[in-house]
Amino acid sequence: MEQVVFYILAAVVLIATLFSITEKHAVHAIIYLATSFFALAVIFYLLNAPLVAVFEVIIYAGAIMVLFLFVIMMLELGHPEKILLPGVRDWAPALLLGVVTLAAFILLVLHHPPPALPANPVKIRDFATVLFRKYGVAVEIVSMQLLFALVGALYLGRRK
Amino acid sequence: MISADIWASMPLIIIAAGIIFVLLLGAFVPGRHGTITGVILLLASALWTLRTPPLPVAPLLGIAFTPFARFFILLFSLTALITLLLSHDYNKRRGIHGEEYPATVLFATFGMVVLATSANLLNLFLGLEGLTFAFYILTAIDRNSPDSTEAGLKYLLQGAVSAALIAFGIALLYAGVGTLEINAAMKSVASGGKTVPVAYAGWGFLLMGLAFKVSLVPAHLWTPDVYQGAPTPVVAFLSTGSKAAGFAALLLLLPAMGSGISMLHTPLCCLSLFSMVLGNLAALRQQNLKRMLAYSSIAQMGYLTLALLTGIREGFAAVILYVVIYTAMNLSAFGAISSLTGENRLEDVEDFRGVGFSRPLQGGVLALSMFALAGIPPTAGFIGKFAIFAAALKGNELPLAVIGIITALISVYYYLRVVALLYMQPADGEKLSNQATVSEMIALCATSAVILLLGVYPGPLLELIDSILR
Repeated sequence: MEQVVFYILAAVVLIATLFSITEKHAVHAIIYLATSFFALAVIFYLLNAPLVAVFEVIIYAGAIMVLFLFVIMMLELGHPEKILLPGVRDWAPALLLGVVTLAAFILLVLHHPPPALPANPVKIRDFATVLFRKYGVAVEIVSMQLLFALVGALYLGRRK
Repeated sequence: MISADIWASMPLIIIAAGIIFVLLLGAFVPGRHGTITGVILLLASALWTLRTPPLPVAPLLGIAFTPFARFFILLFSLTALITLLLSHDYNKRRGIHGEEYPATVLFATFGMVVLATSANLLNLFLGLEGLTFAFYILTAIDRNSPDSTEAGLKYLLQGAVSAALIAFGIALLYAGVGTLEINAAMKSVASGGKTVPVAYAGWGFLLMGLAFKVSLVPAHLWTPDVYQGAPTPVVAFLSTGSKAAGFAALLLLLPAMGSGISMLHTPLCCLSLFSMVLGNLAALRQQNLKRMLAYSSIAQMGYLTLALLTGIREGFAAVILYVVIYTAMNLSAFGAISSLTGENRLEDVEDFRGVGFSRPLQGGVLALSMFALAGIPPTAGFIGKFAIFAAALKGNELPLAVIGIITALISVYYYLRVVALLYMQPADGEKLSNQATVSEMIALCATSAVILLLGVYPGPLLELIDSILR
């Protein structure tokens, strides 16, 4: 069953991502992208990596997508002339994909006995140790990069 | 973390601390002392690198202070130093203010140093992305010029795609071989004569992403537009530092593969062939000097790839030698252009008519760099091209080497056209060009001296390069 669920979810990820790059309306595209992240999170759960699944939802679908939506709505990049309630045709595919993802997740949680835990499951502590010990320099380098994202955005965005 | 680890990461720490210092300095004395602080810091990092013997790999950190890393840290620090010297007065003339500029140049150097010292693929990727990131900002930093903003956007969009390609390539490599350690991963990509298919796919993505960074055909489309639009000192840095970093990455990866490099032979051949032919032919038709140099740099990258794909030690040595020489040549060429740019932007090749008489120093440096790029002795360009084609012949790449030599002969035309305009024709109604300032003079004289010195006495550098290739 796991394989079937995986292929269904993989199809959902691909379709949602495809929609998100073909969709002309920026807000709709982001909804599709978020849907694809959710499906990806369930795939991670399927792979016995609940921690990554949670990160995927909290950081990608949660923080980053909301930030995107916020910026787009603030800049009014969407079409202000079309501020009507989205029609059925607009939200049906996203809803369908979302329902499939949710169904897969519920199926996994309910029907599947909690996936046989490996002998030593990866705990948050192990994850943190590897991240900050083995790849500690990488974390520092990424933080420098974020600093410069800030510097660059400030400089280029400053009024003359 | 033990003290050896701190020593190994010292160049990173010096530059990172320097960046923070420059940014903080800006809060107290906005827009002043940035250049001089940056120059001192880069000198410090270069001197520290010179004085410290190579250290063994620090496995805990994923960085290695190898002889290879030492050599490239030195090269990157000096390149950034020349760039800062060139850009100080240029920025004043073009109205680019703020401590962000020197800080971002330092950050680009930081990315390059990370890349040169990286011992695992993650750090390699982060270094590469760090420096590209800095160049996104630097390209768009001239807010008075719409061209600069446009160039920044073009570079950002295509750069993002290449970053995705590299990240995906590394992920596939990791999936194939199960380790991020560069040496171990590269060895097991093609162990025992058969290739791991997923890793093969990973290399495909990685190669395409790196081809973008060093602008090889067919990933070269950004180059002319970015070179034309970005501030000229930035282009000097972009065309030297980032290209050298791209080849440093390839040199970290490819020699570690041993004989497995043969699996990349065909794609590298195509990249090299198309870059040499297309770059040189397109450069013939350019009227804008910066665009011409962009296509010329595409062609030069083709020559470098030609030496790289031989997979022999002489080939790798020729790549390093030519990277050093190319850095000096392009810094002089773009340095001279940027120093001539004042109120007027001199861009069309025709604008340089007679400049050799009115501005002897800059005109002379520009002419010298054109001679060097064309590969005419006794400049260093000749030594570099000679090493490359000799390595190609030794590595049994006769057809490609012949094509390379023919395209190099074609390229002489467009390089010497600039020299002819500079000296052979009198100035008629020329645009007012700018006089070189002290810092520009220092930078231009330094790079010209390197071109001439390596042209007549390359021995010590060749020995050094031989010693850093394990």
